[in-house]
Amino acid sequence: MDLYLPIAEMSVNAPLLIALGAVVGFISGLFGIGGGFLMTPVLVFMGIPPAVAVASLSNHVAASSFSSVTAYSRRRMVDFRMGGVLAAGGVVGAFVGVEVFRLLRLLGQADLVVSVSYLLFLGVIGALMLWESLGAVLRRRRGESPPPRRDRRPILLYALPWKIRFPRSRLYISVIPPILLGLFVGVLSAIMGVGGGFILVPAMVYLLRMPASVVVGTSLFQIVITTVLTSILQAGRNQTVDVVLSTLLLIGGVLGAQLGARASARFRAEELRAVLALVVLLVGLRMGLGLFIRPDDPFVLVAAVG
Amino acid sequence: MTPAVAPPPAPPARVAATLTETDVRVSSGFRGARISVYGAVFDPSGRPSDVVVVVRGPTQTVRIARKVHVAGLWLNSRPVVFEGAPGFYRAASTRPLGDIARFGQLRKLGLGLDHLAIAAPAERRVETRYGVRDMVVSTLGSDYHAWRGAVVRLKQTAGLYSADADGVTFVDRGLFLARVDLPAQAPIGQYTARVILFQDGQPVSDRTLPLRVEKVGLERALYLFAHQRPWSYGLVSALIALGAGWAASRAFRRS
Repeated sequence: MDLYLPIAEMSVNAPLLIALGAVVGFISGLFGIGGGFLMTPVLVFMGIPPAVAVASLSNHVAASSFSSVTAYSRRRMVDFRMGGVLAAGGVVGAFVGVEVFRLLRLLGQADLVVSVSYLLFLGVIGALMLWESLGAVLRRRRGESPPPRRDRRPILLYALPWKIRFPRSRLYISVIPPILLGLFVGVLSAIMGVGGGFILVPAMVYLLRMPASVVVGTSLFQIVITTVLTSILQAGRNQTVDVVLSTLLLIGGVLGAQLGARASARFRAEELRAVLALVVLLVGLRMGLGLFIRPDDPFVLVAAVG
Repeated sequence: MTPAVAPPPAPPARVAATLTETDVRVSSGFRGARISVYGAVFDPSGRPSDVVVVVRGPTQTVRIARKVHVAGLWLNSRPVVFEGAPGFYRAASTRPLGDIARFGQLRKLGLGLDHLAIAAPAERRVETRYGVRDMVVSTLGSDYHAWRGAVVRLKQTAGLYSADADGVTFVDRGLFLARVDLPAQAPIGQYTARVILFQDGQPVSDRTLPLRVEKVGLERALYLFAHQRPWSYGLVSALIALGAGWAASRAFRRS
């Protein structure tokens, strides 16, 4: 069944998009990420204009993240205070990122920056996560205890001013690192068309030293706030949100996210991280591949600046 | 002495044409449309006639970049802006255009993919060359034709530009038919179908028929909502997203 998208101005196969939304939603609920880094490349590959894909996607990500964040908050696995601090940085970052992206499109370098960002961030984070989580899995198999953390109180978190208590995370740290983290993720999310969970989750574990149990829910909570804002901003400024496209995606997305959040309880955290790392790494390499392969056609049409 | 009487001039040939559809309605099930151009050539003298049918979509600015190999990476060059490019273009004719009229004539009328009037005005520079003042040159230099050709080639690949040397067929004496397939990704807007009659390499008669491609029903309502009240539209679509997420989570909690 084909459906015509009023903003993208093309026709798409509706069941295919619903299934795609469900698959990405499941991954989103399972790993506590928005899933944008998977969905954006697929939509662009299907021929949907990148600007429309990125903007409509933030709606889908908001829906599936909201669906799973409610599931996590019932199990008291969301640190709302930490999520709010991260989102405050993220909101500012999203505004900056949207402007940077407009400038890049004007220069015709948006494709390059998107490819490099995917290759760099997904590649590096995927590789690091894979290394760390495989190590943890192997240690568990051998029955060894995890190595003691070298620095229980990183100077970065504790020496800076404006300390706040985050009871749910059992932390008493400065707000500056989470705000900067949120800012950085906000900029990236506007440029790459992603929620930023694949950066937030490892950053919360390794940089902020949050307990693994609240990381996923908190990351989803932050993603809901930034993606809702981004989608309203994109609709208001660029008129690029296609509500038919986002509705198709989110029908599957919200169901998949519920199943994913449920399924996540059955797996060990480090095994989940290892699988996520592999997915992240593969997508990053796939997106970066275009930089190294001789293109079929030496010319490309670049999107007009609205 | 009476002056020699010239034979009475043959009445000029004329062409008449009509479209099977003047309004293409794009609704949620739109998967492209087929439009037929019917017409007739009126020529009492029966000279050999050729018919060219050109369908043009609304003009769109095209930005194109070239992939350049820098330090082992394939990067985009600075984009070049071409203006005057139609969003959809189809030239159908009874014979190859090159057999119907001369190069100069086709160029003047902008007929055929090789003669489409598209230009990159931002790359133009007026300078003095070989002692000739006010010469218009392109900063793209001799590559200009590669760039221009790439615009047409990429649009052809996308199914938006086409040329068919057998696209117009005479179904009966003086009666011709041309089919135009609009793909689902054809741009929305005002189109024109131009029907030109050629005799002896000269255009002798032409007709221009308007064609509208427009969204109707829900597609139109959503499009207008998104463009006329963008902030409310964004708010509503965000609420739909949150509502769907909440509903799914409630549904699963009960089960």
